[in-house]
Amino acid sequence: MDLLNYLNIGFGVALQPINLFYCFAGVLIGTLIGVLPGIGPVGAMSLLLPTTFKTTPEAAIIMLAGIYYGAMYGGSTTSILVNIPGEAASVVTCLDGYQMARQGRAGPALGIAAFGSFIAGTLSILGLMLVAPPLSRFALKFGPPEYFTLMVLGLTVLIYLAHGSMPKALIMATFGIVLGLIGMDSINARPRLTFDRMELMDGVGLVPIVMGLFGISEVLLNIEQKIRRDIFQTKIKGLLPTAKDWRDSAGPIARGSVLGFFLGILPGGGAVISSFISYAVEKRVSKHPERFGKGAIEGVAAPEAANNAATGGAFIPLMTMGIPPNVIMAMLLGAFMIHGVQPGPLMMKQNPGLFWGVIASMYIGNGMLLVLNLPLIGMWVKVLKVPYRILFPLILLFCLIGVYSVSNAVFDIYIMVVFGIVGYLMKKFEYEGAPLVLAFVLGPLLENNLRKSLIMSQGDFSIFFLRPLSAASLIIAIFLLISPLIPWMGKKRHEIPKEGLS
Amino acid sequence: MRYKDIFSSLFWMVIGAGLCYGGYELELGTLHDPGSGFIFFWVGLIMVGLSLSIFIRALKEKGKAGEMRLIWSEVQWKKIVSVLVALFLYGYFFQTLGFILSAALLLVFLFKAVEPQRWSVAILGAVVSSLVAYVVFQVWLGSQLPKGLLDIG
Repeated sequence: MDLLNYLNIGFGVALQPINLFYCFAGVLIGTLIGVLPGIGPVGAMSLLLPTTFKTTPEAAIIMLAGIYYGAMYGGSTTSILVNIPGEAASVVTCLDGYQMARQGRAGPALGIAAFGSFIAGTLSILGLMLVAPPLSRFALKFGPPEYFTLMVLGLTVLIYLAHGSMPKALIMATFGIVLGLIGMDSINARPRLTFDRMELMDGVGLVPIVMGLFGISEVLLNIEQKIRRDIFQTKIKGLLPTAKDWRDSAGPIARGSVLGFFLGILPGGGAVISSFISYAVEKRVSKHPERFGKGAIEGVAAPEAANNAATGGAFIPLMTMGIPPNVIMAMLLGAFMIHGVQPGPLMMKQNPGLFWGVIASMYIGNGMLLVLNLPLIGMWVKVLKVPYRILFPLILLFCLIGVYSVSNAVFDIYIMVVFGIVGYLMKKFEYEGAPLVLAFVLGPLLENNLRKSLIMSQGDFSIFFLRPLSAASLIIAIFLLISPLIPWMGKKRHEIPKEGLS
Repeated sequence: MRYKDIFSSLFWMVIGAGLCYGGYELELGTLHDPGSGFIFFWVGLIMVGLSLSIFIRALKEKGKAGEMRLIWSEVQWKKIVSVLVALFLYGYFFQTLGFILSAALLLVFLFKAVEPQRWSVAILGAVVSSLVAYVVFQVWLGSQLPKGLLDIG
């Protein structure tokens, strides 16, 4: 009964015309970003963050969330038609989606991707609705030691799942923590690593760093290589999958949804990993695994369902505990803070309109996406044909406007460009940006909760091992960190993403 | 030897050592009462340790022949440097020239410098895009972009 009541509140908020408009804008921009290679949801969200300053927090979060799940939808289109994933989460979709397009079945591939995403998105919102309230109540019992160790665990899982070497991911995380602590010390107001620049007294902003690492650096990498986009020149017809397609896809969509949802909750998991794992699972349970990679519809349905379900799951740690499990949620945390809302266990009580409004808007957004993706597919194909030489100057301009609008400071433009260079070099030398950004956001929270915990225990570190939840989190984190030293565990770590592609 | 990792680990080693020094200068404090530099010192030390492990592994591992040359040979220096210089100049002249003028100049340069378009396309594209961006961001969304020389804003 309570749940229905809350949903009522949620739809009351989400159906307000202004919020409907922002929801539509979010999913539209998200789809566009998903379709266009070269700019991802993180860049797009940081770009559009300043545009939400004058809106209500509800409208802001509804739009930013729309960009996130919209991008997951849009990403599949380029994977299927061009064999270039618009998003990292759609990499696996290329394998069978593009093959289906080559066999003249682009329509059903796009159709099942859209329907699968819709079904999975809806299921994961249901899951979010059911899991979030009890978890919020549970999280109310958490103290600083629990928060500190949960954040350590979150960072560790992210580092563990990093594609490349673990020491490199750890270096990125330590660098992120340092960046997050630049500015005045919150205890004694002493400037730290500010190099006597007034602009650095308040610290470095999240937006310039993210836009540099994920926006400018992408452009730099793309302009030095010609992006070849051979769009499949067949007429896309029959978007509705046949009865057989549905029979083949029902299981994969269901399994992908469940898997994606739970992996989305895990820190560092998110859409990318869940799409890889769900593909691997389908290949393993299939009676004809040899069909995978040659145009099996299951190979499109499962990862697309999983990456959409993961978006719903990823909201859980942020909304119930205030801990972002991935970079995109870190951006959303930034947006919440800018609007003066602290996500966490109290949010559901203090801001029920916001909490349930965002959830309800996701239902509506999923419906909008189905309309945007199926009948308008021709328009997205046209967007795909815009040459990169026209596109990249505009992406750069939007980055410049976006970063200036946040703080009205030219200094932030320089920071963004510098981090663009850093991001470019990181890609060249095989370092990942995600641990850096998450650590940057969590850095100050980590330090704060560590100091509070030590005040509680009067400087005794055993506090982290005497409380069951924090002890369990720390033990898992330590285990993951030393796991590369254990031969079979180290091997397993590299098998997870590779298995999907083999 | 993996040259890529050798160079990058040396870089992080220097940064880590710098952090240790910076942390020490800021005062370490004690475990019970950590000072401002406490966390920097330890994070720097961890960074040095991690980069050392990458360095040692890179020495042992077999790298590709001419690996470093391979990274830089595919870099199109002219394009990358011209885009970066344009971005820095945009920042430098942004307040003086104002948004519309600096955005239009930047776009003309980017349209011409990297993969050259016809002048007509570059100029028209730049002017239209900067005006549309101005209307969307300044007029509709209320961003406070600088007026500059043209005194529009």
